[in-house]
Amino acid sequence: MKHNEVVNGYRIVNSPTNAGGGKCMWAFAEKSGKPYFIKQFLSPKRPKPDAGGSERSKQVRLEACREFEQRHRGIMKLLKPDMPGGGHLVLATDFFAHGSTYYKVTARIDTSTLEKPQLLESRQKCILLKTLAVSLQLLHEIDVVHGDLKPANVLVQKRTGNAFHIAKLIDFDDSYLTGKPPDREEIAGDSLYGAPEWRRYVQDDGSVKAEQLTTAVDIFALGLMTHYYLTGALPQHSERFDSPADAVSAKEKLELDPRLTDRMRNLVLAMTSRAPASRPRIATVISTLKDSKVCDLVQRPPATSAASATEASSNPLKEDRDFPSPGRLRTNIKGTPRPRREPSSPRPETPSAATGAEPTAPGGSSKASDASRKSRVRINLGDRRK
Amino acid sequence: MSSAADQYRGNLQYAVDIVLCIDATGSMKPVLGSVKSSAMTFQPRLEAVMQEKGKSISQLRIKTIAFRDFGHQEDDAIESTDFLRLPEQTETFRTFLHGIDATGGGDVPESGLEALSLAVSSPWEKGLDRRRHVIVMFTDAPAHPLGGPHSSLQSYPASIPPSSDDLLEQWGYPRSQEALMEQSAKRLVLFAPDQEPWTGIQEDWDMVLHFPSKAGDGLQEFEMDQIIDTIANSL
Repeated sequence: MKHNEVVNGYRIVNSPTNAGGGKCMWAFAEKSGKPYFIKQFLSPKRPKPDAGGSERSKQVRLEACREFEQRHRGIMKLLKPDMPGGGHLVLATDFFAHGSTYYKVTARIDTSTLEKPQLLESRQKCILLKTLAVSLQLLHEIDVVHGDLKPANVLVQKRTGNAFHIAKLIDFDDSYLTGKPPDREEIAGDSLYGAPEWRRYVQDDGSVKAEQLTTAVDIFALGLMTHYYLTGALPQHSERFDSPADAVSAKEKLELDPRLTDRMRNLVLAMTSRAPASRPRIATVISTLKDSKVCDLVQRPPATSAASATEASSNPLKEDRDFPSPGRLRTNIKGTPRPRREPSSPRPETPSAATGAEPTAPGGSSKASDASRKSRVRINLGDRRK
Repeated sequence: MSSAADQYRGNLQYAVDIVLCIDATGSMKPVLGSVKSSAMTFQPRLEAVMQEKGKSISQLRIKTIAFRDFGHQEDDAIESTDFLRLPEQTETFRTFLHGIDATGGGDVPESGLEALSLAVSSPWEKGLDRRRHVIVMFTDAPAHPLGGPHSSLQSYPASIPPSSDDLLEQWGYPRSQEALMEQSAKRLVLFAPDQEPWTGIQEDWDMVLHFPSKAGDGLQEFEMDQIIDTIANSL
């Protein structure tokens, strides 16, 4: 794939890059006057008839290609752009092999500029979160786990004339059916947003079986993202741990922003529960978000924070009885997110691999709390390397 | 007493191994300094990006293979280090890099495939929870095919396979039985001209990112960010 090359009718309009993506190259493209986002997979490679290697080697490679095609076409069959609510998802419109290489095409989505989602009004934040949750519900209703849910895989869009930002979920290439994840060595996922059971599965912990990786994996990530979108930072945890999931795995409490309302605190704590079965289902999350006041940030005097937290733990969401109270909470008395580390130098933001849009958030909690940080959601910069 | 399922097994541990294959022939003189200085800043830049993402690497090792041309002068055709741990062995890494001079090589092609083959057969980390094994090739020239007359030279490494097909088998593919590389860990980043064998490798091998450079012009478009993205975005 090269600038100006035509790949299966799609003319590549910028220099391909791997920015934002580890296992693909991507670029923007045009076909019949319409703009597209095109992704080139690095694996598998389809052996050509005159390719080198033994016949057996070619057969093994062809078999891997057949399975790869089946998996992707299977997901595309489940997730069609014209499905009800499909507008919340940025779905593949084309999938093909060109030469030895596989490609996937989606519509090109231009995202809005959103400097700091945490500065939106409660109602705005609530709508953003609700549209994200509805996107996820579309997957979970058909037993599909996104598998790599993180801010970089969420596009935030604000259409002209529309007062609200909405979320669109992207990149379903690592999705799997609930309870049927890829092998431990192969499963994708983000080390920061991964759920405790995902991390233990990756660590080859035999007590975590494949069937335990369910839609609850996404709920854990969504809990972290909810905290981020509301406060500008991820929940904090001891320096001993590399991620929220590590802390939760060790049965340490996450430190949530004390400004969260009690109901939101309970929701996020439940979503980030250690046990997948203790996390609420996506319908419960959506139901909680119906009241935009739940997304308020409440200024509490430090003396009342702990008391409030304790009270919150004994008063789980009234209308959400299907997940347990998270128990006594640890309160961040300082009221400010605590950076874990400071990077030695800044780095330019890069577009998301899925659609070329800017990642919507940093992974790190330290950066997330940096008030001087630049936009997390921007118009894609696919032509930056022209 | 807690059950096995309740046992916390510690933070997820990531190991990153990188092999830099650097063309040290005369034509690389205009860009070798840039490649070397970028290589020296690689570890802190990668660490900064990882920290920005709120992630960390538990173990980072780097190995360097400088190559020229067995067909021109066999005694300096390959120079290499073992895997060096960074930042602990930064000084050894720095000393080796400073010692690489862009010289010799004669006419193209060069011995890039031999360097790539030695990189593939490196003693990659097999422990920790997750691994990334990245080979980065910097060259401005096409390469001799494997199995040519140079392969009978006395100093020619015996471990190098006799053909490109054999090298592909060592690189591997999904469900490969003969691969030396771990399928889910491996990446090959080519900063190489749009010429054989590099275009063929990009076409036939999986997990390859090819950023073409113009033959004879050195690696003017060399971008370390591409390598860092390859690692940081996949953890």
